Amino acid sequence: MSASDMNATTFKYSATNGIQHEEPLLFEHAHDAPESIHLPGIKGDIPDALAAFVRQKPANIPGLSEPETVRHFVRLSQWNHGIETGFYPLGSCTMKYNPRVNEQVARLPGLAHIHPDQPEETVQGALELLYEVQQWLGEVSGLPHVTLQPAAGAHGELAGLMMIRACLDARGDTERRTVLVPDSAHGTNPASAALCGMHTVELKSGPDGRIDLDELKAHLNDGTAALMMTNPNTAGAFETDIKEICQLVHDAGGLVYGDGANLNALVGLARPGDMGIDCLHINVHKTFATPHGGGGPGAGPVAVNDILAPYLPVPCIVKNDDLYALQHNIKTSIGSVLSSIGQSGVYMRANAYISAFGREHLHKIAEDAVLNANYILHRLKNVYHVPFEGVCKHECLLTDEIQNRHGVKTLDIAKRLIDLGFHPMTVYFPLIVHGAMLIEPTETESRETLDNFCDAMLEIAAKCEAGDTDALHEAPVKPFRRRLDETQAARKPVLVWPQ
Amino acid sequence: MLSYVKKQYTTQEIEGFITLCFLCGDKKDITMRFLPHTDTDRTAMLETMGLSSIDGLFSDIPDEFHLQRGQLDIAEALSEAGIVRKFTKASEKNRNATNTRYFLGGGTYHHFVPAVVDYVISRGEFLTAYTPYQPEIAQGTLQALFEFQTMIARLTGMDVSNASMYEAATATAEAALMARRVSRKNRVVMAGSVNPRYRSVTANYLSRLDGEYEEVDMGCFGTDLKKVIAAIDGQTACVIVQYPDFYGSVYDLAPLREACDANKCLMIVAFSDVSAFALIESPGAMGADIAVGSGQSLGIPMAYGGPHLGLFTCKQKYLRQMPGRVCGLTSDADGKRGFVLTLSTREQHIRREKATSNICTNQGLMCTAAATYLTLMGDAGLTTVARHSAAALQSLVSQLPDHVAALEGAHYNETVLSFADHQARQRFLTAAQADDIFAGIPLEQIAPEQISPEQMDPSAENRHLLVATTEMVEEADINDYLRLLEVAK
Repeated sequence: MSASDMNATTFKYSATNGIQHEEPLLFEHAHDAPESIHLPGIKGDIPDALAAFVRQKPANIPGLSEPETVRHFVRLSQWNHGIETGFYPLGSCTMKYNPRVNEQVARLPGLAHIHPDQPEETVQGALELLYEVQQWLGEVSGLPHVTLQPAAGAHGELAGLMMIRACLDARGDTERRTVLVPDSAHGTNPASAALCGMHTVELKSGPDGRIDLDELKAHLNDGTAALMMTNPNTAGAFETDIKEICQLVHDAGGLVYGDGANLNALVGLARPGDMGIDCLHINVHKTFATPHGGGGPGAGPVAVNDILAPYLPVPCIVKNDDLYALQHNIKTSIGSVLSSIGQSGVYMRANAYISAFGREHLHKIAEDAVLNANYILHRLKNVYHVPFEGVCKHECLLTDEIQNRHGVKTLDIAKRLIDLGFHPMTVYFPLIVHGAMLIEPTETESRETLDNFCDAMLEIAAKCEAGDTDALHEAPVKPFRRRLDETQAARKPVLVWPQ
Repeated sequence: MLSYVKKQYTTQEIEGFITLCFLCGDKKDITMRFLPHTDTDRTAMLETMGLSSIDGLFSDIPDEFHLQRGQLDIAEALSEAGIVRKFTKASEKNRNATNTRYFLGGGTYHHFVPAVVDYVISRGEFLTAYTPYQPEIAQGTLQALFEFQTMIARLTGMDVSNASMYEAATATAEAALMARRVSRKNRVVMAGSVNPRYRSVTANYLSRLDGEYEEVDMGCFGTDLKKVIAAIDGQTACVIVQYPDFYGSVYDLAPLREACDANKCLMIVAFSDVSAFALIESPGAMGADIAVGSGQSLGIPMAYGGPHLGLFTCKQKYLRQMPGRVCGLTSDADGKRGFVLTLSTREQHIRREKATSNICTNQGLMCTAAATYLTLMGDAGLTTVARHSAAALQSLVSQLPDHVAALEGAHYNETVLSFADHQARQRFLTAAQADDIFAGIPLEQIAPEQISPEQMDPSAENRHLLVATTEMVEEADINDYLRLLEVAK
């Protein structure tokens, strides 16, 4: 590595030269720890009847003292890249800054330490905040009836399709079981349809990456239950024919399900409900900045129009005069999809995020998110292949077509970004283009960060052009682990540490 | 100082700066502290693209769908201080575990949460990471998941665990679906003593698919295995029981294991307070093929129903039919040990409609919380939690006055108390609440269909209380509870 290269990677980009300790599995810490927690409670006997069932062999949970436990997990944390660590332009995942005040208020004792079955009159404050965010989500989506129950986006898809199916059944349309899904859709869409006892037919995208009206018309028939669409779609493009698309589906007797994963492009500026969408799930861990926690928890509330409102899951949060209540008995409801009213703690944070922007500023989320994505697209478009022309919405889609001529693939570019201090973009999705790189900067990134990222991408492209590609194939070299062997992991799965 | 600032910034930018310093009240002119751009930045970026206004980036949205900005029916913006004030006010309206004693269970339990757990999951590197799709820079999450899977498998006595489900009800439903795939049969038998919410969600998941679903009415507040076994036939894919059951009853599952073997069906064991298995025999030791339930007891606050933690474990041989993400051990290009998400060919992003489940986002951060909790506790701490939880219940039921009856048989930390009639129960609940005790959950609140064996006038029958104890219950709380039972007699 040359001196100038060192300079560039060390100072121009943040890179990854932090302190990184090797840390064994906690099962490998070699000593018996004393019981580290002094627990409250009653030290009495257990009854004889229960004693007959006492566990014969201990579970063998190792246990470490408190200082060791903290050090173990802090060291592990330092191997992670989070949104607080650096840029995280993971397309379709909306990795934006998670305000710390949201964490603080969600932990208030009256919100964190309350039981879902304590009397309703003793949790009016929690119900008030949940009801408020429920109504706001209805307002933002243009679909006024909202359930907070689904625990994540895919769970919302299932609940939404259940409602659509119930509505069709109530109309006597019991043969409508086909869900049309564009080939650019998230994989959860067809999986959710299958779980709802429906089958999917894939729609081939048009040459501009959008839904092709002729293709749609050709597949609409008496068996059509719904179209599941994402708008903006997973190529980051707005479906400009949205009105006609919804009209065609409705005329054919079907309903339109909106995958709200990409709501960040529209929030405060335009509403799916106004466009003809009947049902929309919202990923609040995306649009409303609740932390993703390394894979969850999320929340996938579903907003619906009047047609689908009778089928919402129970219980519903309702307001009667000044009292909030849970309504359980709704005859037409699809029933429950979760054992509680939803991931309440996640909604507290979402409420706080919306509160911070308020009516006056909510649209600035979408404006800055779209501005940032287009800025990146603009800076990279002459160097990376852009499969679909035009402005993008909250994310931009590039491919590795140009770099491929030098033997460099999307994966190499992604891994090199790690060495340069960035989390890679979403790779190889959507499936409709070869070597996809889907970049979503979100509204919470500064111009400085966007420029640094673009400079890094341009530098990678320049190295390809110059044939200087070794560092790309080798990458990443800076993290304390290099490319991991996924084939080995899957062929002979080791999911637990042996006793 | 101000004149210097004025030379450098526009008025709007100064306002933004002031807000950033949290000095601003709840005024209309708040600018957004989470958006790093100044208007100068925005203009410059647009100019780079040859645009004069942001509208140029939204011209692909038909005009008729453009909202007038700032017109939605949403509250006005709040400063950070305003948000804290608003949430504090709402929080103070709620009775909570810092000012009230909890004897509530039914799937959610008030166990002790050590400060270290919340500290670890508040670390931005865990909190603000996405699903570990780039394993080289997500080894922290991945190793924590591997440790979590290992400890959950050990605690439940099962071979393998996945990296979590949403919560216990959906985990139960997914277990039924998995058993159908494994057995290639589609009849599901469910004991009526499984938490009514797990039953209702499972029935809901299955209702749109081919196959039969049968709930076996127990006719008592407990589990009658003879009735469950009688419902199994050759077409049965699986039988689902809860252990300890919804009413807290602990019982031997050996007869069920035999019946399952005889009919080549899977035995699914659900649970609602996993802390039990530090004290009593695990589902694995009882012969479960799949064990699912709630891990909320492992360092996760009640939080009015979530986020909690769904646990999913099974025998090794069924691994490839398991739903959800799993973390596996592997090595990197230099041969060093590392971890990745694996077996993704089961999952929706590859298998689409043929996937084992549609689950994508799970409860990742709650796995890290549980792993931290389990590490702090170890076998010894976990056993203490379980012993104290059971001892508290024993202390309560052994001192009950004559006018209140508890269930017979072995119970871990939950039971049903029966009063003379509805009025007697309500008198007690009211008195207890006035003395800062949530004394139990009226049984019909969770199980509306659960009219007790006598089946008479429902208002007279709503006289049962589901009561749970944990290590957070102290001797004084039991004494108060007993005193109030006498007072409200």
